[in-house]
Amino acid sequence: MDKQNTTCKQVMHYICDNLGEDIDSPKCIAIKEHLNNCGNCQTYFKSVDYTIMFYKKYDVKISEEAHKRLMNHLGLED
Amino acid sequence: MTEEKIILEAQNGNRQALSELVKMYEQTVYNFAYKICRDRDRAEHTMQETFMSMIRSISQFSGKSKLSTWLYTIVSNHCLMMARASKKKFHTSFDDDDALIDEKSIANWNVTPDRVTENNELKEILDEAIKKLPPDYRIVFTLRDVEGLSTEETGNITNLSIPAVKSRLHRARAFLRNELNETFQNG
Ligand SMILES: [Zn+2]
Repeated sequence: MDKQNTTCKQVMHYICDNLGEDIDSPKCIAIKEHLNNCGNCQTYFKSVDYTIMFYKKYDVKISEEAHKRLMNHLGLED
Repeated sequence: MTEEKIILEAQNGNRQALSELVKMYEQTVYNFAYKICRDRDRAEHTMQETFMSMIRSISQFSGKSKLSTWLYTIVSNHCLMMARASKKKFHTSFDDDDALIDEKSIANWNVTPDRVTENNELKEILDEAIKKLPPDYRIVFTLRDVEGLSTEETGNITNLSIPAVKSRLHRARAFLRNELNETFQNG
């Protein structure tokens, strides 16, 4: 999801997917009507979206030493 | 050489091919193990065990699933096993969906996720928050939202039904959002 322009549709896909609902089901249409007019929900889902982005961007690199220890452990050193 | 060919060679006992596979996937496995364990030593240990298992049972790899899926499964199982052995209690209750969403806590966050790469304090906050989640929730969140796997793939790896994956994902997201909200709501 694009962090700058979270759209209601994307948010709905998120929610309706969680509910196991089709995007055109009555439940999802009702959700859409609510979301279109609710800043509170938009703020909430933006913070959920940010939460996911934080964890996505947090990567760790394997160090050269850890790589060597791995190859040694496996008996695959060059 | 394609990955398929390298796997075949490895199955025939070619040491060079095995080494090639390890090098192709060590970063993925280490990163995923870290995301689950949130500890560099444990991530390294998990990675070593994972590739040991891969080498031991590469001959049984049928190619029906992707090798990466197979490796994710080994990492997840190893992590769940270690969690069971450590008998750590997760006191956070996930039975009450209502409690996870508190309307009073809704606030704008004065932060952008780009900051995470160079901010150690922030990394610590992220580590501490996700460590409070039970391991199966952590694994589901990481596979679905962080690694971008489908609900079906996540279900296969974790041995959970589709509804079980969805409910864990939903609760994990809401829980982590609440944890981070304390830090970010006032920017
Ligand atoms: Zn609302």
